[in-house]
Amino acid sequence: MNISDEEIYAPKLTCGNFVGFRTLVMRECHRFLRVWNQTLVPPLITTVLYILIFGYSLGSRIPEVQNVSYMEFLVPGLVMMGVISGAYQNTSSSLYIARFQGNVQELLVSSMSSFEIVLGVILGGVARGICIGIVVAAVAVLMAGVEILHLPTALFFIVVVSIAFASFGFLSGLWAEDFDQLSLFQTYVLTPLTYLGGVFFSVDMLPVLWQKVAMANPILYFVNGLRYAFLGISDISLPVAIVTVLFAAIVPFVGCCMLFHRGYHIKT
Amino acid sequence: MTPAVQISKLNKRYPDVTALDSIALEIQPGDFYGLLGPNGAGKTTTINILAGLCNKTAGDVTIFGRDIVNDYRDCRRLVGLVPQEFNFDVFVRLRHMLVFQGGFFGLPKRTCEARADELLAEFDLSDKADTQLRNLSGGMKRRAIITRALMHRPKILILDEPTAGVDVDLRRSLWQYLRQLNAEGTTILLTTHYIEEAEALCDRIAIINEGCIVTVDTTRNLVARLTTESVHITLTAPLTNGMLENFDDLQIEAADGSNELTVTFDRRQTPYHSILERLISAGVRIDNIRPVGNQLEQVFVSLTK
Repeated sequence: MNISDEEIYAPKLTCGNFVGFRTLVMRECHRFLRVWNQTLVPPLITTVLYILIFGYSLGSRIPEVQNVSYMEFLVPGLVMMGVISGAYQNTSSSLYIARFQGNVQELLVSSMSSFEIVLGVILGGVARGICIGIVVAAVAVLMAGVEILHLPTALFFIVVVSIAFASFGFLSGLWAEDFDQLSLFQTYVLTPLTYLGGVFFSVDMLPVLWQKVAMANPILYFVNGLRYAFLGISDISLPVAIVTVLFAAIVPFVGCCMLFHRGYHIKT
Repeated sequence: MTPAVQISKLNKRYPDVTALDSIALEIQPGDFYGLLGPNGAGKTTTINILAGLCNKTAGDVTIFGRDIVNDYRDCRRLVGLVPQEFNFDVFVRLRHMLVFQGGFFGLPKRTCEARADELLAEFDLSDKADTQLRNLSGGMKRRAIITRALMHRPKILILDEPTAGVDVDLRRSLWQYLRQLNAEGTTILLTTHYIEEAEALCDRIAIINEGCIVTVDTTRNLVARLTTESVHITLTAPLTNGMLENFDDLQIEAADGSNELTVTFDRRQTPYHSILERLISAGVRIDNIRPVGNQLEQVFVSLTK
């Protein structure tokens, strides 16, 4: 005699484990909201400092860029910086620490699929990216008096860039064997690309050679996509920026799903 | 009856070592099953494959007839795993961990909260419900990790060295809880280094060594395989000269004037009571008798050396 489904306490899941997935997203959000002073406040302070130094202080000595004041020009890039680092840090630290402490096994033994787990963890990073994006944008709008011209486009870029960098964070958290390795990507790739990604300058301001180099930096496309949504100006055409950001989100996400399903660094 | 666990030709190979070499096991519903073996024998690999923490290289594993790969969702809701190491997020509060864990199995939040409160009360942890796990004592952490495995009321509970490092009181109370859980119908698979634990709890035992199952039998039959037995006897008065001269058929270790002696005998040929009767007749004044070593331990050593 076999055991029937009715005799089993946990529900039979024929169309995916939505409750499990929702629980995981809630847990990931709970994780960064629990320590809001470490996760949400620092990017806010950074933004305020950038606006004070580059906007109020130095910005007045810099001529208009593409017909907007330097302070206004700066705001979308600062929002994008906060979104990128928030989304990346959330998934990389969450997954790495879950591996380090072993509590990733709580998910592996549960009745969730690899896809649900990957998506749940990444959406936690996306939630942090969006929270930071909204908070930073609100402060920047208040301090710099910027208006958002195309709100749906701004939301699109914030959400998709969050997915992209939450996925990169996931890959980093999966790959790293120690804390040093965990910080490698952020130190040597993410930070330089972000600072060289058009947050503080327009590509027109660079020498011709460096303009070509800058065009190879994907973050330039994300910053300019958001700058278009905020101010209606951009170094990159909007369709190109949209295709780039979609590509940057889909490829690492698929990579996360494949590696996690294989059990890379999480199953023996 | 469909076995609770059926393993056949299970292989697990790493690049440099074969952890499991075509093992086969069958655990019936309601069994209290022990998996014994020395370090590195393949115990944890076996249970990790059952729980979904390790990918098998080859072979078939079913849980109540469900394949662990193709029907993994169904299998996971049937299995609860208590790992040897504390593998939780130490910054999470105990009750939150339990509620989240229930949610991962698809249980609604209210059901999880009620179940968490029930388990916390059962394991005497209610007053620690809102404590971060890092602030619990070792014994409390051990109980917490067991409650987490029970959140979804698994039909099979797998425990990897559940009493390693716990004090005697907690060990006894965990034994009592596991017996009760088993009596209520939960199948239990236990790995342990404590032979005494396996002998006290398990009704069937598999001994695994170097990735192979060496033997599977009931605990009683395994102990019965032991033909040679030793007893240690303490005396109220010292032995005197010639007291043991008619005991050449037994192997006795004792010195004249000593208050202690050890008798080794083949229990198929020499009944226990006849040894005692002969010793008493020879004037040996017995104070206390205890078996030397654990019986199952002796079987274990003989099968794995």
